[in-house]
Amino acid sequence: MDGVGRVSLAVAFVVIQGLAFAGAYTIGRSTWYAFFMIGSTAATAYLLRRDSFVVAAATMGSILMVALGLPLFMFVARQQPSIVVEKALSSDVHRMLYLGVYGPLLAAIVSLLFGIPLAHLFSEGFAGQQLVESLVDLPLVVPHSVAGILILFGFGQGGAFPNVTVLGSMIGMVLAMTFVSAPYAVNATREAFESIDDRLEYASRIHGANRWDTFRRVTAPLAIRGMITGGVLAWARAVSEFGAVAVVAYSVSFFYPPSGGEVTTQHAPVFVYGTYLQGGLAESGAVAFILLCVSALIFLIIRYLTTDSTTTGGVV
Amino acid sequence: MSLHADVSATFSADGADSFHVDAEIEVERGESLVILGPSGSGKTLLLETVAGFHRHDGPVTLDGARVSDTDPENRDFGFVFQDYALFPHMTVRENVDFGSRYHDDTRDPDDLLAELGVSGLTDRYPPTLSGGEKQRVALARALAVRPKVMLLDEPLAALDVPTRQALRDDLADVLADATAVYVTHNRTTARALADRLVIMNDGGVVQSGTPEEIFHRPESPMVARFTGSNVIDLDDAPSIRSVLDVSGDDVVTLRPEAVEFGSEGDVRARVDRVVREDATNRVTFAVDGITVDAFADDAPAVGDEVWLTLPEDEIHVCRPTVAPSA
Repeated sequence: MDGVGRVSLAVAFVVIQGLAFAGAYTIGRSTWYAFFMIGSTAATAYLLRRDSFVVAAATMGSILMVALGLPLFMFVARQQPSIVVEKALSSDVHRMLYLGVYGPLLAAIVSLLFGIPLAHLFSEGFAGQQLVESLVDLPLVVPHSVAGILILFGFGQGGAFPNVTVLGSMIGMVLAMTFVSAPYAVNATREAFESIDDRLEYASRIHGANRWDTFRRVTAPLAIRGMITGGVLAWARAVSEFGAVAVVAYSVSFFYPPSGGEVTTQHAPVFVYGTYLQGGLAESGAVAFILLCVSALIFLIIRYLTTDSTTTGGVV
Repeated sequence: MSLHADVSATFSADGADSFHVDAEIEVERGESLVILGPSGSGKTLLLETVAGFHRHDGPVTLDGARVSDTDPENRDFGFVFQDYALFPHMTVRENVDFGSRYHDDTRDPDDLLAELGVSGLTDRYPPTLSGGEKQRVALARALAVRPKVMLLDEPLAALDVPTRQALRDDLADVLADATAVYVTHNRTTARALADRLVIMNDGGVVQSGTPEEIFHRPESPMVARFTGSNVIDLDDAPSIRSVLDVSGDDVVTLRPEAVEFGSEGDVRARVDRVVREDATNRVTFAVDGITVDAFADDAPAVGDEVWLTLPEDEIHVCRPTVAPSA
């Protein structure tokens, strides 16, 4: 099957799934759609490949897709437009969105700024590297509320920097986000560095460039895709962070340009949780829907801007 | 420029035993030194160590001045890699011009590319080039900085035969007046380009000398085999021992091109195998319990009985064991 055929088939499959979901949802039989999704995937796999292994793999995979996709479809379908519009026009939601994008952006920048040098060291190797790697990966296994507690012990009252206010501050929130998102930035960047053949750096050095220039002219341009991926992952992880931020900075005071002064609000997941407690599922769903749209939009923009902008680090 | 290196370095990789390189090489001004050895003998690691890519003990001197404590960028070397190592995100011209900002006296990239027959490629990116084109660009990049010494790591190994032959001719011209160290496992290339040869095995130098010395007077069976000589253990070939005026040593070597055969000769042999090699044939004869190779334009039939003539002045007695100098 050529490229056009594959795209046509994918579009047809998605349209059929959309119509099937809309029909099942309209008549109040969403469960039927779950079985339709599994059955239609298995049938499509059989028609395309007629291979029992492929059909079994597609069927098993579609069960997972039901678990992941169905809640998302139901979430979108069950939104009440009037509440979504009301929330979209709310200045509280605007502040939450600003903080929900801006705070994670700062955390991603900090993660990259200090994570890129560390990732480069990891790619070269050094004594005691495993110990440092374990420390970097620790936030991946630590419950995030625990991460928040750790930050308060380290940098909060009685911590290492008594003059820095962490509790309820922008600094605290960014610290909490960096704590949980830095591993993504470091690991993605390290993989990019490791994919660069040593001989490219040798070639740079032997023809006159020192280590700084080699990094600037050869290593960094070849690893830029990994850096961007690491930054996007760190940003996305920070956007979704709840536990550590709720502990360290439940409410955050920060400078909000549209109002020209300090405002106080919560990080997006905390805001959604607060809305759920106070206003119920419908209101929190509307806020979550808006947050989901903004996050997806930013993600798509970044993907669009970075596609085909880099080359690989292999030897050519 | 003359280069002298007497370096020692240990390399280790995950899951592998460490590998030790301990070798001394010397190149005089305008001389091409070829390091020849089997895969895994450490010749590339030696070249990279001399270039400064790896930590090492022992001095590297350029015209008597010690450069072993300086970074690669300050050693005034040019390097051509086996797999080209062109910067994939830069155009051909940017690749060749890469070192210009770090050197006062550089060559014009366009002139160099024209000289090497690839002037039409300046705005292309390396992934779009053929292997031969990439290696010419890599050669231009190294020459552009007017290095005092050129280091070349098997630059022809990844190329097809016609491209390799064409580039080897060009390299011979380029290296004619240059001071160069050239690493290869190909004895034909080594013989074509070397003013002097070094044979490496197991991380050490096992023999060095002119190509004539190494090819005709190998000091060990390993060198003899690697340079394509017949290695004859006289204990296994009593009929050859009986016609040679050799005493004491048990192993002799003989170039296949020196072996003649016909209806008369010194030793009776049977044609065991005939393999066509370009314009000639490699004929393998069975003599007693060993084989002896020769070249012949007119190949005999397999199974023919012939007489071999083994010229006494071409017979070289060598030590039966290999002892790296490391």
